[in-house]
Amino acid sequence: MNYFPDEVVEHVFDFVTSHKDRNAISLVCKSWYKIERYSRQKVFIGNCYATNPERLLRRFPCLKSLTLKGKPHFADFNLVPHEWGGFVQPWIEALARSRVGLEELRLKRMVVTDESLELLSRSFVNFKSLVLVSCEGFTTDGLASIAANCRHLRDLDLQENEIDDHRGQWLSCFPDTCTTLVTLNFACLEGETNLVALERLVARSPNLKSLKLNRAVPLDALARLMSCAPQMVDLGVGSYENDPDSESYLKLQAAIKKCTSLRSLSGFLEAAPHCLSAFHPICHNLTSLNLSYAAEIHGSHLIKLIQHCKKLQRLWILDSIGDKGLEVVASTCKELQELRVFPSDLVGGGNTAVTEEGLVAISAGCPKLHSILYFCQQMTNAALVTVAKNCPNFIRFRLCILEPNKPDHVTSQPLDEGFGAIVKACKNLRRLSLSGLLTDQVFLYIGMYANQLEMLSIAFAGDTDKGMLYVLNGCKKMKKLEIRDSPFGDTALLADVSKYETMRSLWMSSCEVTLSGCKRLAEKAPWLNVEIINETDNNRMEENGHEGRQKVDKLYLYRTVVGTRMDAPPFVWIL
Amino acid sequence: MEKEGLGLEITELRLGLPGRDVAEKMMKKRAFTEMIMTSSGSSSDQCESGVVSSGGDVEKVNDSPAAKSQVVGWPPVCSYRRKNSCKDASTTKVGLGYVKVSMDGVPYLRKMDLGSSQGYDDLAFALDKLFGIRGIGVAFKDGDNCEYVTIYEDKDGDWMLAGDVPWGMFIESCKRLRIMKRSDATGFGLQPRGVDE
Repeated sequence: MNYFPDEVVEHVFDFVTSHKDRNAISLVCKSWYKIERYSRQKVFIGNCYATNPERLLRRFPCLKSLTLKGKPHFADFNLVPHEWGGFVQPWIEALARSRVGLEELRLKRMVVTDESLELLSRSFVNFKSLVLVSCEGFTTDGLASIAANCRHLRDLDLQENEIDDHRGQWLSCFPDTCTTLVTLNFACLEGETNLVALERLVARSPNLKSLKLNRAVPLDALARLMSCAPQMVDLGVGSYENDPDSESYLKLQAAIKKCTSLRSLSGFLEAAPHCLSAFHPICHNLTSLNLSYAAEIHGSHLIKLIQHCKKLQRLWILDSIGDKGLEVVASTCKELQELRVFPSDLVGGGNTAVTEEGLVAISAGCPKLHSILYFCQQMTNAALVTVAKNCPNFIRFRLCILEPNKPDHVTSQPLDEGFGAIVKACKNLRRLSLSGLLTDQVFLYIGMYANQLEMLSIAFAGDTDKGMLYVLNGCKKMKKLEIRDSPFGDTALLADVSKYETMRSLWMSSCEVTLSGCKRLAEKAPWLNVEIINETDNNRMEENGHEGRQKVDKLYLYRTVVGTRMDAPPFVWIL
Repeated sequence: MEKEGLGLEITELRLGLPGRDVAEKMMKKRAFTEMIMTSSGSSSDQCESGVVSSGGDVEKVNDSPAAKSQVVGWPPVCSYRRKNSCKDASTTKVGLGYVKVSMDGVPYLRKMDLGSSQGYDDLAFALDKLFGIRGIGVAFKDGDNCEYVTIYEDKDGDWMLAGDVPWGMFIESCKRLRIMKRSDATGFGLQPRGVDE
């Protein structure tokens, strides 16, 4: 390769698209590093505090697409205070100043303000794609700026964000000349929607392939929208109200029949289950079905719908489907690759909706299954052993038994052997979440067998520091380790400090680590940001002798090349 | 990989089932239940006194489902999903403010935001506007003289006459509204308000 001119090498690099591969290429030699960095268009930053905008722009001046992630994963479960950080503003400011030709911005768990959105919309002439996942801090006014100013907007994809809905007219801010939309997802907006503006927008967007509506879009509007967008591939239904009059319903049926490209269906935020049959004609084409927000769809209506979906690859559902329903899935959806079963009753009424039987049935019936998230009431080692035998191809295996510390409900044993079987059989396992009663033994298995494991979530598990050490020593590819309410302490934390250089981050909350332990870690590893989140009485965490043994409530550490961040709120101590 | 923490534990004598350290199990269970007790506001003294010495006392702990759910961030369902798919009607659906309003004789339903009304008077005005018919709301004030009766479905699924309870209580429990013709409601012994005073 050294004899080829740079342009040829660059052309070859164009075919290398994955971030991992491009990162690897850049390490080969100085010349490849240089060629790679000038030709890199898509950059992925898994932790926005691992670097800063200036370094990003210095290295990749030609970047067109940026993905940034902010808060740690456990922020999803309210374990991280809102003001912790993850602000996108400095990034947008720096990108705007540098005049880089930004076309795509994807953010996850970041704080986004209307000001940021306004700046974004005005600074990049070719801006095409905005994807916000689990972000917060902005309102529909910010969306209005994006709509009004981004002339070539292709994607506006808002997934599960907390958006202050000012019930304004953001949809009517799309100019009449805007005809380039491909993706429009505003399912997470709570307020009213200007239906007229929406219908006009959809009618003038011939490339629109993905449309996800919010609660405020009723059934008759849905019928009109679908009939002017028969090219739809991905549809999120808003409100699917009870008792539509027969004329609306007939119109809807006719519109649905024309949508022969429809492959993905979601939403049904409010649903009249008996109207689901309108969708039966297109079910045989569906590859993705997300009914996890459709609390009103269950029982026979749900089963009938699923029985039509023989080509399903991805299914997100509520546990009200029951073990029997999962058996229907197992016998119908032979192409299933990803299954997520969410709990429908979070308050804990003890309704045994799904158990180990449903999981076993799925594993037996769906040979292509590689990703699962399963919330259930109970589990057994025997079931997990069977699942491991049936599905050795798991890449992601997340099991959440709703009651912490719950043992095998038949033998009362810990679930070490069951999870052990999973990690032993699934040689490509990259992500694992544990639950139930677990001792250090399960971590011994994980350390021994989970060679490809990159992300591990632990809650209410383990007995001693040995557990955590097994994982840190054994899992060479570990990137993200998150632990809560487990008895791991300073010994495990400090055993091998260099390990954290190979990981993106470590989260430990309600464990046994102490303030002095964390301080020692920070001293040994200046290239780490060791953050203590301390929302309780600050006086307790003072620096005197015995207070050093005070247990740390929340520890979040991550490797970084730019040192301590300057935007941390007062309750975050960076050691 | 031997660490200091292990030394003493191995020599400790314990009673328990073979293969599983019962006391450790109790300790862990204590940690979890202690969390519930303190987070649900009751004193943690109840937990601490009995548990460490004898396993039996763990049973005293409040095992009710409501207490279990008070551990922060458990089960690990993201907050967006929690807000949007909670089956419990007393939280999400009513809190959102938008309720369905049906009116007898009108073939379609409407949606209105209860949160945007300040009281029954406001609601009366809003209902009148919604259906373009005057006189719906008058029912709240003057039981007898109006063609319509406004009823609502409460959290328990019962249909109640609107206007009996204080506004705050009403919007917290109202799931949907229905405007009935008074003629359909006769025979049910509707007492005009003020009769018993």
